[in-house]
Amino acid sequence: MSHRDYFVGIDVGSTAIKVALVDAQGQLAGVHVTESGSLFHKNAREALKALLEKFGVTREQVKYLIATGYGRKLFKEADDSISEITANAIGAHEAGKAFGGVRTIINIGGQDSKAIQIDDQGGVTNFAMNDKCAAGTGRFLDVAARNLEIDLEELGDYHFNGKGAPLTINATCTVFAESEIIGLLASGHGKEEVVAGIHYSIAKRTVRLAKRVGIEDRVYFDGGPALNKGLVAAIEDELQRPLVVPEHPQTTTAFGAAMLARSEYLAEREAA
Amino acid sequence: MTVTPIHPVPSNAESHDAAPAFNRSRQAREAEIALDRITDDFDGNPAAMQYFYDLFRRVYIQGEPLPHEGKLIGTTCIQAPDELIYAVGATPVRLCNGSYHYDQIGADFMPAKSCSLVKATLGMLQTENPVPRICKPDLIVNPTTCDQKKKASVMMEGMGHTVYDLEMPNAKESEEARLYWRRSVRAFAHKLREVTGKKLTRKALKEAMARTARAQAAFRTLHNFRKASPAVVLGKDVFLVTNAFFFDDLDRWTAAVEALNAELTQRQAEGFQAAQRKAPRILFTGSPPVFPNLKLPVLIEEAGGIVVADETCSANRMLYDMTAVDEWLLHDMVDGLADKYLKPCTCPIFTRNDDRRRRLLELAAAFQVDGVVYQSFAGCQVYEMEQKSVAETLNAEGIPMLYIETDYSPDDMGQLSTRIEAFLESIKTRKRKSA
Repeated sequence: MSHRDYFVGIDVGSTAIKVALVDAQGQLAGVHVTESGSLFHKNAREALKALLEKFGVTREQVKYLIATGYGRKLFKEADDSISEITANAIGAHEAGKAFGGVRTIINIGGQDSKAIQIDDQGGVTNFAMNDKCAAGTGRFLDVAARNLEIDLEELGDYHFNGKGAPLTINATCTVFAESEIIGLLASGHGKEEVVAGIHYSIAKRTVRLAKRVGIEDRVYFDGGPALNKGLVAAIEDELQRPLVVPEHPQTTTAFGAAMLARSEYLAEREAA
Repeated sequence: MTVTPIHPVPSNAESHDAAPAFNRSRQAREAEIALDRITDDFDGNPAAMQYFYDLFRRVYIQGEPLPHEGKLIGTTCIQAPDELIYAVGATPVRLCNGSYHYDQIGADFMPAKSCSLVKATLGMLQTENPVPRICKPDLIVNPTTCDQKKKASVMMEGMGHTVYDLEMPNAKESEEARLYWRRSVRAFAHKLREVTGKKLTRKALKEAMARTARAQAAFRTLHNFRKASPAVVLGKDVFLVTNAFFFDDLDRWTAAVEALNAELTQRQAEGFQAAQRKAPRILFTGSPPVFPNLKLPVLIEEAGGIVVADETCSANRMLYDMTAVDEWLLHDMVDGLADKYLKPCTCPIFTRNDDRRRRLLELAAAFQVDGVVYQSFAGCQVYEMEQKSVAETLNAEGIPMLYIETDYSPDDMGQLSTRIEAFLESIKTRKRKSA
């Protein structure tokens, strides 16, 4: 393999498109994240182009490309596609090596949340996903932030600035939770306590999901909402263990797909 | 494609009137989408499957009336003995429905979190001109299985149907249960006499049992073809075949399955492969796939897996177990029939499920199964509750199981395909490692 060869994983998710670039040595060379919008396919192509331009790589240098995420089948330019569960497992396994290895993955995405158990080689041994409902997902945080009229990025700060105990959000449905939040604000509760309450409500659901697959150390937390430090703290509290949160939690799955692209390329060359 | 009717035109013109378009459109479209997927998304469909594809097109999409001899007896469960119905010159039709359209209509009768199958069946029975064209059976036999089906009797009566509760025991191991059930079956035979005016005779029952046994033998042959690796037939087609058993003419169904078997014999001799050699082999269990809701088996096979066996009441459980008779006297025959319907039944309504777990392990071994997919309709408590013990039994033998809670709505397709693909990928990884 030439040192100028690259491999790409593209994760076409419900909220964001994540692209990861891996070099010939299997090192992460760069990532790019854009919003999915309504034109999945066009935006995915543009995201790939933007990533390659950003790192000065030509399309010809990309030897293998694997698509994952909800829109994986629509991205026909890919050499292959893989479910985001398998891609997430590979990505977390590789990224988790720096932390001493991970065996459980919690992923919260735009419209679903998952818990995955992996073996010491990154193979999926068990997994669970939330039912068809946005409760406990990134979308839930979006809706809540909008109700509270604060930016998504501010949720973490609000979480730690509360004076009282976190409030309890009972509703498990995003739509009902919305009216519950409005009700709590109307009765004079502070935004901080509401935010903490939302984080604990998501944390409880997520930990229940993780218990279904079995929790083993270390626990890796990824997906866009892992950028929210308040949510990380709430999950750690519910889990009663520390979480491993990577530097780019949004792109673990795309990275996994890129790593798989590299090993598929190697395997195909070996077979040829 | 030109379609010539295979069903004889019934003499009473009334039931031949086309159902109003507003009533059929959504249901027919749903059926059409499902059928097109089953036929067009796959290469190399057996030629003998065309009979079944056409049958579903006529009955579910074009609304062709169902043929029947004598009285039409609707059944809501496989526990109602078909043989008794045939023996009094009547025709059974299984009413269990798989349409999302009727599920939504039936939602008016049941609590929000109820089984799609029960709701869809109620929805169909509530509809003026339903498709399939089962307008008003002369009698509906409702075995008292799960709570939702039990409570459906009164609702069906409220819609103007005549309903008979076929009483079932809660357990099946005890002698008391066996005796109770035998008495229920005998009472049912009396009820049939009342409805049809015909007495159950030894000769007629023997004949009915022979016809059913021939159908079962054809099914068993088909079932055994699925042991082959690489596979010669896909699960989506077998589900369609067994679904046709719900409403098709018994002897014609048997002949069509025998034709399919003949083609599979030839295919096997020619080394035909219906799927890739390494395709993960899946055993399907749980809530029954009923057309048009074959979404889970179809998703599995679209994702590159192959459903090689099943443990469901819309296929294997309905057809596999044969009747054993000690003495060919009417009483013994009816008792033997009753035993066949109770003893091997692996429905989760019973107190224990040792038999079900044992059968799953047997199927897994005999069909070289790589993994099990367990479907539970949301709101089907008994399947939901048995999930854990089944998973434990399978996992103890190193067989992975994917548990999926779903219903008839198509909106979780994307999520389900992700889960199924991940499951198949994990099976492949596991196999590569152990190789």
